[in-house]
Amino acid sequence: MIDVAQALWLLVAALGLSLSVSYAGLPMLGQSAFIAVGGYGVALLGPGGVGLPLGVAAAAAVLIAALLGYFTAVGLSRLDGAYLALATWTLAWLVQRILLAYPGVFGGPEGLTRPVPAHLVSRSLGVETVLTTKINLVFAAGICVLVLLAFIRMGKGPGGLDLAVLRESPQLATSLGVAVAARRRAVFTMTAVLGAVSGVGSTVLLGIISPSDVSPLLSLQLFVAVLVGGAARWWGPVLGVALVSVLASVADRLGSVGDVSPERLRGVLTAILLLGVLALRGPLGRLGRTAGRVIQPTRSTLPVPERQVPTLEGPVELSATHVSISYASVPAVDDVSLVLRGGEVHALIGPNGSGKSTLLHVLAGDVVSGEIRVGGRSCRARGVRDRVLAGVVRTPQRSVVLSGLTPAMQVAVGARVGSPSRQAMLRHLFATPRSRVEAERVRAVVGAALRETGLLGVSDTDPVRLTVGEQQLLQVARAIATGASVFLFDEPSAGMTDGERQTLRAVVRGLATAGAAVFIVEHDMRFVGAAADFVSVLDAGRIIASGTPVRVRDDPLVREVYLGSSLDGGAGGTHVEADRP
Amino acid sequence: MGSGVLVQVVLGGLANGAILGLVALGFSLVAGTVRVLHFAHGDIAVAAVFVGVLAMIGRAPIAVALAPLPSVVFVLLVVAAGAALSALVALFVVLPNLAIPGGGRRRAGDAFGWIAGGLGAGLLLREVLGLLLPEQGYAVPDPFRLERLVHGGLVNLPGGVTLPIRAVIVVVIGLGVGLIAERSLVRSRFGSSLRAVADDPEGAALCGVSARRVVMWAFVVAGLLAGLAGVLAAPGRAISVDDGAVLGLEAVAAALLGGVGSLRGALVGGLVVGLVQALAVYALGAGLYDVAPLALLVVLLAVRPPGIRARTA
Repeated sequence: MIDVAQALWLLVAALGLSLSVSYAGLPMLGQSAFIAVGGYGVALLGPGGVGLPLGVAAAAAVLIAALLGYFTAVGLSRLDGAYLALATWTLAWLVQRILLAYPGVFGGPEGLTRPVPAHLVSRSLGVETVLTTKINLVFAAGICVLVLLAFIRMGKGPGGLDLAVLRESPQLATSLGVAVAARRRAVFTMTAVLGAVSGVGSTVLLGIISPSDVSPLLSLQLFVAVLVGGAARWWGPVLGVALVSVLASVADRLGSVGDVSPERLRGVLTAILLLGVLALRGPLGRLGRTAGRVIQPTRSTLPVPERQVPTLEGPVELSATHVSISYASVPAVDDVSLVLRGGEVHALIGPNGSGKSTLLHVLAGDVVSGEIRVGGRSCRARGVRDRVLAGVVRTPQRSVVLSGLTPAMQVAVGARVGSPSRQAMLRHLFATPRSRVEAERVRAVVGAALRETGLLGVSDTDPVRLTVGEQQLLQVARAIATGASVFLFDEPSAGMTDGERQTLRAVVRGLATAGAAVFIVEHDMRFVGAAADFVSVLDAGRIIASGTPVRVRDDPLVREVYLGSSLDGGAGGTHVEADRP
Repeated sequence: MGSGVLVQVVLGGLANGAILGLVALGFSLVAGTVRVLHFAHGDIAVAAVFVGVLAMIGRAPIAVALAPLPSVVFVLLVVAAGAALSALVALFVVLPNLAIPGGGRRRAGDAFGWIAGGLGAGLLLREVLGLLLPEQGYAVPDPFRLERLVHGGLVNLPGGVTLPIRAVIVVVIGLGVGLIAERSLVRSRFGSSLRAVADDPEGAALCGVSARRVVMWAFVVAGLLAGLAGVLAAPGRAISVDDGAVLGLEAVAAALLGGVGSLRGALVGGLVVGLVQALAVYALGAGLYDVAPLALLVVLLAVRPPGIRARTA
């Protein structure tokens, strides 16, 4: 029975780890450090240590782990994948070496022992419970079930969507208004909390905690356990922990037969399992891939709020004044001022390298010199996410293919920006009435955005199978779903067929008709002529001309730097090759 | 405690630092060219030494003085083992997950694959050797037998300061080999292939540079240096098969201090980490031997987050 209880506590730690690794895609290799904080925390603070009541000591240990997890996440927030793995792996070793370095406090290699079974005492209630193995097992099982239920529920709701898009592409998540840093901190903290809970539980169960119980090897074992299940499936850790536990008992059996250290055998088997799981990851991943069960777009048009019908001269949605940005003292955008009006499609043309994409980046929130006002309010030096929340959304030039999310789910991520509901993740977890209304709204918005872009037919397709043009339209659909008032499209027509261009033109005109300001980078002058109300020409970071398409096309300077002076008047069929970085 | 003790402490730190520098050099080389963090690197350094020990001495945890010829064989064996192990890791763990021409099947590359694979390879080395060599610590023979050079192994300096000759020579060999390796990597044709692949694997392939071969060689050179570092380090104190992981992380701290991808920086970083470690132990107690460099690494990562887009040399 002790083995089962121990495996369940291991499962608690693995579930916590899976939140970081599988759900958020953060390679976290230091779970043993947080287990150590929980285990040593309760041993040092509780009966036999400082002498706090067991419940208080346990809560304090978990709280300390939560704080450590939070501050670790803050400290390591700027690291990318591999270095995050390195940092957390270092943390695992650091904690173990600290435990060994201060034997006076942590008991050296022997660790700390506490009386078993522990007693849970409440003076105020006058209750004293003996924590027998059976009761401990019930505790462990209860926590596992609660966490599993929460995960399953989360996977189907807004939280799961946020984490999924964060896992696939943090940049895109930011551009769709997901608070990436905050989500990562929350996930990391939750991982630490569950790690500490696991440490507390098994220390109380066994009455002993030693450095070898929380060695970096444990971190790797848990990592393997989580990896077995692949991305974001709740049963992965269950299967993984079962596998690791079986391996451990196999190692013990073999060790007693062959007169070798069972610890070493465990290590060897863990290594083999880790390398094996990696080799088999492809097939394992395909095994559990299910698509399209999260968001089913509704086909009714009803709940989508109508945009205001624009006046003749639309209101200024976004204005940029004397905006400049330079890289290594080379100006990429040089003293640009422009105005984007509601109800207007504004095309941006210019030679390759003239700074078109950079200008879009600046308008969408990159740090800048000069002033940018959105809807009349100054937005100086704010980040991408704040700009999205203010109603300015940009699509990247190269389409970001999120292979793990169906088109409908991707659009749903965008749809959440307009969500009035704070703490949507928690609301969904407890299925509050408001979360149901919100889910209904998201489905409607997703349906509308997909219909507008002609993607309703492929809403559940594996996104890898979409054509290049459909990918681009999907980016546009994600942006539309945010309900923004200013759209910055970076060459959406690149790679599109004629039919898809027609759709794009209709979408762009439709957005303008509904009152939004559309700013679109485009090379195809025919498209510009047909879709745009206003054209600006960028050359070497400066706007050299602007006006109606016809006026700009006939401007001699524009003809010289961009269109080519040999071009005869009305043809306008130039299609300059799309610039690729 | 007079200044003599401090001089010894500093020298010991520098000797350890020169060794760390060699390990860091290999790490930085791989991180700079292949954009891969070589998680098994430290384990390879230690495993290489034990391969030599198993071949020449056996499983007994006693230091046997080796005759001159076996000493040479021992050194060559360890260095070769380092190169071979590193090449195996590159072949089976890293290349299948890389986004280079001739790399894995996944076009985008798979960082999770080589991170977990590197950790798995390091763990496998550690634990398999641990099955064969179960003792806590092994005294490894000193193939260079540096103590013999001077009477008692100590050099007397004016002012009553004595220095262990071993430490002096380890600094000299470590830095010497490190600098030679750095210069030849910067100057040679291979060095320019490395930088070409680092900058643009596709472009390098179009110029006839096989990215796959360059990656393999980067790992082999890293393994050679790791093996040499192991030979230099091992006789200094009793080592265990588990020391590799922490050695690797200490070397990462050195590489980060010097700037990832900068080979000269790695050598200097090694000296700094060695000094920090020695001074921390001197001032605050032996418990900090591993704690200080590991804590330094965590702080470095938090304060100066490295991008993976570093350049070689």
